[in-house]
Amino acid sequence: MMYVGRWGLTLVGCLVFASLQFGASPNLGTILPRGGQRGTETTVTFHGARLSDAEEVLVYYPGISVTKMEIVNDGALKVTFRIAPDCRLGEHAFRVRCKSGISEMQTFWVGALPIVDEKEPNDEFAKPQPLPLNVTVHGVVNTEDVDYYVVEAKKGQRISVEIEAMRLGTTLFDPYVAILDAKRFELAISDDAPLVGQDGCASIIAPEDGKYFIQVRESAYGGNGSCHYRLHVGTFPRPTAVVPAGGKLGEELELTFLGDPAGPIKQKVRLPQAIPEEPFAVFCQDGGGVSPSGIRFRLGTIEQVVEKEPNNQLSEATPAPAAPVAFNGVIEQPGDVDYFRFAAKKGEVYDVHCYARRLGSALDPVVYLSHATGGDIAANDDAVGPDSYFRVTIPEDKEYVIRVLDHLGKGGPNFFYRVEITRVEPRLSVTIPKVDFFGYSQERQTIPVPRGNRWAVLATVTRSDVGGDLTLSLDNLPKGIKADTDVMVAAVNQQPIVFEAAPDAPLGASLGRIMAEMVDPNLKNIARAFEQIVFLVAVPNQGVYWRHDLRRAVFAVVEEAPFKIHVVEPKVPLVHSGSMRIKVIAERKDPFKGAITVYPLYNPPGVGSSSAITIPEGQTEGYFDVNANGGAPVRKWKTALIAVADAGKGPVWVSSQLFTLEIAPPYVQITMERSAVEQGKQTEIYCKVSTTTPFEGKAIVRLMGLPANTTAPEMTIDKTTKEFAFPVMTKADSPVGIHRNLFCQVIIPQNGETVLHNLGNTELRIDPPPPPKANAPAPPPMTATAPPAAAPAKRLSRLEQLRLEQQEREKAAASQNKKN
Amino acid sequence: MRRILTAMVLCALGLESYAQNPGVPVERLEVFPPDIHLNTSRDWQSIVVQAFYADGITCDVTSQATLRVVNPAFVKIEGPIFRPVANGETELIVEFGGKTVTRKITVKDATVDRPISFKLDVMPVFMRAGCNSGSCHGAARGKDGFRLSLFGFDPDGDHYRLTREINGRRINLAVPNESLLLEKAMGKVPHSGGERFKEGSFYHQTIVRWLEANAPNDPPGIPTPVALEIYPREGVLDGKGATQQLTVRAKYSDGTDRDVTNLAVFLSNNDNSAKVDANGLITAGDRGEAFVMARFATFTVGSPFIVLPKGLKFTFPEVQENNYIDKLIHQKLRKLRIAPSEICSDEVFLRRVYLDIVGMLPTVEEYERFMNNPVSAKREQLIDELLNRKEFAELWVLKWAELLQIRSSNQVSYKAMLLYYTWLQDKIARNVPTDVWVRELLSATGGTFKNPPTNYYQNETDLLKITENVAQVFMGMRIQCAQCHNHPFDRWTMDDYYSFASFFSQIGRKGTDDPRELVIFNAGGGEINHPVLGRPMPPRFLGVSQPADVAGKDRRAVLANWLASPENPYFAKNLANIVWAHFFGQGIIHEVDDVRVSNPASNQELLDELAKKFTEYKYDFKKLVRDICTSATYQRATQPNPSNESDSRNFARASIRRIRAETLYDCISQVTETKDKFPGLPLGARAVQIADGATTTYFLTTFGRATRETVCSCEVKLEPTLSQSLHLLNGQTTGSKIVNGALVARRLNEKKTPEQIIEELYIRCFSRKPTSEEMQKLVGMVSANPNKQQALEDIFWALLNAREFMFNH
Repeated sequence: MMYVGRWGLTLVGCLVFASLQFGASPNLGTILPRGGQRGTETTVTFHGARLSDAEEVLVYYPGISVTKMEIVNDGALKVTFRIAPDCRLGEHAFRVRCKSGISEMQTFWVGALPIVDEKEPNDEFAKPQPLPLNVTVHGVVNTEDVDYYVVEAKKGQRISVEIEAMRLGTTLFDPYVAILDAKRFELAISDDAPLVGQDGCASIIAPEDGKYFIQVRESAYGGNGSCHYRLHVGTFPRPTAVVPAGGKLGEELELTFLGDPAGPIKQKVRLPQAIPEEPFAVFCQDGGGVSPSGIRFRLGTIEQVVEKEPNNQLSEATPAPAAPVAFNGVIEQPGDVDYFRFAAKKGEVYDVHCYARRLGSALDPVVYLSHATGGDIAANDDAVGPDSYFRVTIPEDKEYVIRVLDHLGKGGPNFFYRVEITRVEPRLSVTIPKVDFFGYSQERQTIPVPRGNRWAVLATVTRSDVGGDLTLSLDNLPKGIKADTDVMVAAVNQQPIVFEAAPDAPLGASLGRIMAEMVDPNLKNIARAFEQIVFLVAVPNQGVYWRHDLRRAVFAVVEEAPFKIHVVEPKVPLVHSGSMRIKVIAERKDPFKGAITVYPLYNPPGVGSSSAITIPEGQTEGYFDVNANGGAPVRKWKTALIAVADAGKGPVWVSSQLFTLEIAPPYVQITMERSAVEQGKQTEIYCKVSTTTPFEGKAIVRLMGLPANTTAPEMTIDKTTKEFAFPVMTKADSPVGIHRNLFCQVIIPQNGETVLHNLGNTELRIDPPPPPKANAPAPPPMTATAPPAAAPAKRLSRLEQLRLEQQEREKAAASQNKKN
Repeated sequence: MRRILTAMVLCALGLESYAQNPGVPVERLEVFPPDIHLNTSRDWQSIVVQAFYADGITCDVTSQATLRVVNPAFVKIEGPIFRPVANGETELIVEFGGKTVTRKITVKDATVDRPISFKLDVMPVFMRAGCNSGSCHGAARGKDGFRLSLFGFDPDGDHYRLTREINGRRINLAVPNESLLLEKAMGKVPHSGGERFKEGSFYHQTIVRWLEANAPNDPPGIPTPVALEIYPREGVLDGKGATQQLTVRAKYSDGTDRDVTNLAVFLSNNDNSAKVDANGLITAGDRGEAFVMARFATFTVGSPFIVLPKGLKFTFPEVQENNYIDKLIHQKLRKLRIAPSEICSDEVFLRRVYLDIVGMLPTVEEYERFMNNPVSAKREQLIDELLNRKEFAELWVLKWAELLQIRSSNQVSYKAMLLYYTWLQDKIARNVPTDVWVRELLSATGGTFKNPPTNYYQNETDLLKITENVAQVFMGMRIQCAQCHNHPFDRWTMDDYYSFASFFSQIGRKGTDDPRELVIFNAGGGEINHPVLGRPMPPRFLGVSQPADVAGKDRRAVLANWLASPENPYFAKNLANIVWAHFFGQGIIHEVDDVRVSNPASNQELLDELAKKFTEYKYDFKKLVRDICTSATYQRATQPNPSNESDSRNFARASIRRIRAETLYDCISQVTETKDKFPGLPLGARAVQIADGATTTYFLTTFGRATRETVCSCEVKLEPTLSQSLHLLNGQTTGSKIVNGALVARRLNEKKTPEQIIEELYIRCFSRKPTSEEMQKLVGMVSANPNKQQALEDIFWALLNAREFMFNH
């Protein structure tokens, strides 16, 4: 009970957790309601588990601040958000920092409209829930539930709806929305839309004054209690395309929004000076309001053009500046093809990306690069999902033509695209990989370091168009944490980082980044990023429906863990085809006695290990087996083991120190000869030894892989041994057959430890005794006639033995013949 | 040749009995084939003379007729066989029973010998002798170490195996008669297949000739058979033992023809009525119909024969004919000497038409309204009324959903399935002509969510399976056999199969944003190669000799346009047959998806006419259903008369059909006034509305609901089984529905008498009032039981368990 006193907060209603003592894994499930209106203060509930020691809500993006946080119980927090009037619309990300750990990331949606809750019953067309225009409804679709709403509109007024359901990331909820007139005719329906994924949006101009009905359901009449939705109903514009779909950082640009029933909407925007951390989108706004979600927009530094129709033929190609350059346009009609002309220089290498579906366009683009006179050079359909990408080396100094069309020959106002022709730029990107079985949970992707203890992650680096050794650095680590890592050599793309918190480090957290940098001083300036993908809705064996890409990791100092682990660093190397036991020492804090499971954090190339070991309840030591294959690179690696135990409040993870594992070639080589023996008899297995690394003292050699009821004694060798033989004893019931996979285990002493080799390979054939020959003459009295040979000066190989036996048989037969 | 002569003699003997039948005049004389071409010295032609008597009986009078050749210098006659003598043209004059028929004879190259051909002379011997049948050397692994291609689909391979495989063992060119091939076939050495032909027989001589010529393979460009003719085209045989000889002629691509009667394989689909021997001699058996076929090369052709009892006296009764259906049905029945059953009662008609058109039982009100309707055309009125009900569309959505295999699976999400079903439902509910939506379905492009008919290509992704499914569903043909060898009982060759499959070889599939969705598109490339010959197969419609023009087009669209058009002779017929089968329990071709030469329609003229009408109706099958339901044929009673009791194929009476699973379940819910809950459907939805083939209940499974795993019409099981009876007797369905519906309790509360309640139950379940005898017994039972509700519910339960309830009659 000694740790109870460390609790900073006295909590009401958490008596059940009185036995809690150590750090743990808080869980954040859903934030309800799922969104709020900007410019307001709103109280939401963070639902989860093990939240009773929450201290702070970590906010990823600007615009929302936490004004109050109240712990309701272990499963819920009441949090008050102040949402700024200029807060970015859309998805915002949060975590909870508890004293004992860091929660998952979850999202909350910001809209522009006031919020109304769904009121059941609204399941029938005849009994809809009335709504004023320009509200956001928070509702739930239960099993086979159909929700109806009704609004009143004047003739010519725009009625737009947009639903956030799958995007809320709560559950697999694929909604369907429709706008119906009073006669039940569907004026607009939306099941899935490229702009909003499985969610839907629809917009009409009211044909007359009257009532308009909005229907919401799951697209296959499914649904359940967690199928939350936010339905925006209003007069806001709901375009489905924007041209151009990108621009230069910092510039002011006129955009044309397409797909709104009121026609194209032109709007000026000032683009940000630098690429922001949060996903950048442009929002259409007019007198009717602002679109609830924006259209994803490319930011960059290259020049661009917008297509000028007609550009449906090579000769009509829209002229553009020389590469690098971007082309923007729309495949407006089925069968439409857009051409662009640009100049490029011989030998330049360009990446050609068509951004279409990635921005929310309906287009499934196919992009061709051809000579200005015709003749294709490169083409692609689906390199990036439905979008196109290829890399091309420009063959000559002259003009080229880019051609864009839809793969299925379709077209429409929402078939917009942006083709970017950019120079190849090397890039480094770091992430913390997913570790759970299906790869969909957020497990072990945060860095909570218990005070006076360690935690480790495996940083994965993607080197795009660059290679070589690199170093890892960390920014914005909280006070009291230091990180230990090593140079990541060119051959690998993963590197363990061990974080250690001082015993007196203040509890706290920060959002920071793990960045990679090339060791080569000429490559210091290449683009670098940290990216962490969070799968919010994903189904095993199907795929991901909604995800959020974070640009910052979370580091935290949390309360002490109930145990520590330490690896006794091996003083000898791990040799090729050898194995080693690594000793792990657990240090328990009273009264924790539970079992501790130890996992490898990282196995260097060519190294295998136990998948997990358990240090049983109450014990403090364990042995972790590692082995190396014949091709493991010879060098020293830094790695660590991680361990988990449940101290009563979910799993608590810690790491060992970063320790060195050296891989070396074997000290000796052994070649073994094949052997055969009759059941019950004795034979020898002959081995030749060559020493490559002289060693001191005597090494023990054991013959491994022998079949049952067959034995061979242990042998010893030293650095001078050239050959030896195992006497192999069989019994009458030793199994008959060829026994493959016999090898030598060689244990060489060094530095007070041993280096274990597994060397050589051979087979032993055990034969049954030959059956007695019926009516055979009595066996020649070989033993009588041939005096026992003196022990051979040189040991005979199996082949030589067989030859000798044959010679003896021939001699014996010859003598028998003479007798007869 | 001896065999044929023997056959002819036998035939003549058999005919004696009828030829002597006095008093009946010969109405018409037919001589087959219609002309005689003799080409090269070895050619011959056998003829058949058939007399049509005034009473409809036909007789083989080849041996009795007088045959006279105008210029005998050109041909010689050996019995019914003509052989060339000198080049020229002349005429054959045939006289019998006062009738005379003239046939032209042309002789060419009378002195020129035709070189032996492996494909044209030797290969047919293997088929005729049965060497390359599936149970012998035609098996996939051959037999006893020797393999021939099944029914000779790969002559070059067979030539290789005979002449090159196990070199020098199978044939002996030095001493041809000692070839193992011949020794085995003649039974001179032990042979699992026994003796296949005799030494000195035509077959033996053919092979010896080939071996003596050094066993050559044919040069390229050798003529190929292009058609097969069987004569006579029809026949009505009078009594057991009557015989009829057949003659079979093959036509070749170079314009020549040959008598292949001694090379064809003969078979009958009803040996009981008309057995055919190896030489093509039919012998009449019991009364009935038979389709007698000859197979040669890749062709199977046949002629229908009717066998009547000897000297049958029959007059076709005066019967009502409502429309063309009745006319054609009666035409056939007249031939068969079968009288149709009576027209069924109004009560029977009411129940039948409700179950067939809307898949429900008439309510008590509907019963009363119809029974008391004074209008004379009340049946037509009711049919029109029912055809406009939504349930009519729902029933056909169900049937099509089975054929289109609408079901969710690991590959097909529930959403995709539901969108597909909704699409189909919309087409049928809006009465979109079948050809229009079938075209849309087969040429669909896009995402399975955005354009739901593309699901057709998500449900089945195997190219050959798609090919087979399209043929089976839209043309009623099972062409599966031709995937590996030429179809043994139909005309389809591997060429036909792979050329047809070629329409589906360019289907592209790719994923899109939603993991559950698949985009189907025209990949624009991809060919199918012939698996034996390795050459690419250009797309060709089934039964059309010229490749289709697909250059620059989506092949599926080209196919869809042809498939659902009058140019495709099978589409309208197949759909008409499917619709017919729904109302009669069996198709005019039975099974509906087993259209093949060897499975002829029971009434081809009717099928042709239905197809013609369906095409004229612009594939609006509602009109076709109206024609069917208004016909007298549909309205016949199930009770047989002596002339039609043994007949089940000619629609002389209505058949008793077990109600299909979904409809039966809905009927039980309807009569008990209970509501069902199926996944994905609101409470009270009917079983026919279940969109997903993968959804089922114990009841539906037991009663044979289609799982939609295949396109086969056999998926819907209508056989009554013990477990069905046991389920109705003991299972949850009937008992608990009677209790949950509480109909009896409500009626008792309404102060209805037991008689009134029993009468209502009868009308609900059987669409009739109880007979006075039934009423008397039941009322007695109720009054004997102190618990009236219990007794009445027992009666209700008994009615639901009665055969009269489970069957549509």
